[in-house]
Amino acid sequence: MSAELSKLLNTLGLLAIGMVLTMAFIDQVWFGELPCPLCILQRAGLIAAGCGIALNIVFGPKPSHYGIAIIGAVASAGISTRQILLHVVPGTGFYGPDVLGLHLYTWAFLFAVAIVVGSAIMLLSDRQFSQVQPSSGRLKALPLTAVLLFLILTIANIFSTVALCGGGLCPEEPDDYELFSIND
Amino acid sequence: MMSLPFVLFACAIGAAWMRQRGVSVGFWLVGLVTMLILFRVHVTEVLSIQL
Repeated sequence: MSAELSKLLNTLGLLAIGMVLTMAFIDQVWFGELPCPLCILQRAGLIAAGCGIALNIVFGPKPSHYGIAIIGAVASAGISTRQILLHVVPGTGFYGPDVLGLHLYTWAFLFAVAIVVGSAIMLLSDRQFSQVQPSSGRLKALPLTAVLLFLILTIANIFSTVALCGGGLCPEEPDDYELFSIND
Repeated sequence: MMSLPFVLFACAIGAAWMRQRGVSVGFWLVGLVTMLILFRVHVTEVLSIQL
């Protein structure tokens, strides 16, 4: 696999993470489903994984960047697992609505596993690492859009979390924003 | 406080944008540790799984 193809696949991966984060925002803003603390941390985990992919796009593919993506995805999967186990026993309830039969934290777990598997598959190709990347090369339109969208979504999560939790920890089951009210 | 990981990850992406790879990885690492600390803080109840 050439470095260019690797960059394209990383761009598509980062866009996929951006799509998941956007869908989480749509669920929060449009459908009024406020995220729990673990849900917020799962978003952070996906962003941590996305940082590795963004590094691949900006600096060219490197094994260490895939390592960063895998560590972030494993952290996100661990947080999702904790939430799945909280509700795994029948009668212990659930958090939020289900989408296609699975709750969002289960989808987050599956997506994190997909990032780990995808990164492992990408690591199988050595040729992408042997090509020297120009460190000052400008990004093309699609990679530029992916990284910019990812940065915007990360910043949007800062504002969303501050609005929801204020300066402290988030309530376990939030029913309204800390900074303003949507239930009046 | 919960927004801290996002702030640090945004700094990591910003540093990558400015082509500062070492700084970017540093921000990412601190963000990851912060995220894991916040996870530990929110894990307060013991799992009760009796099948």
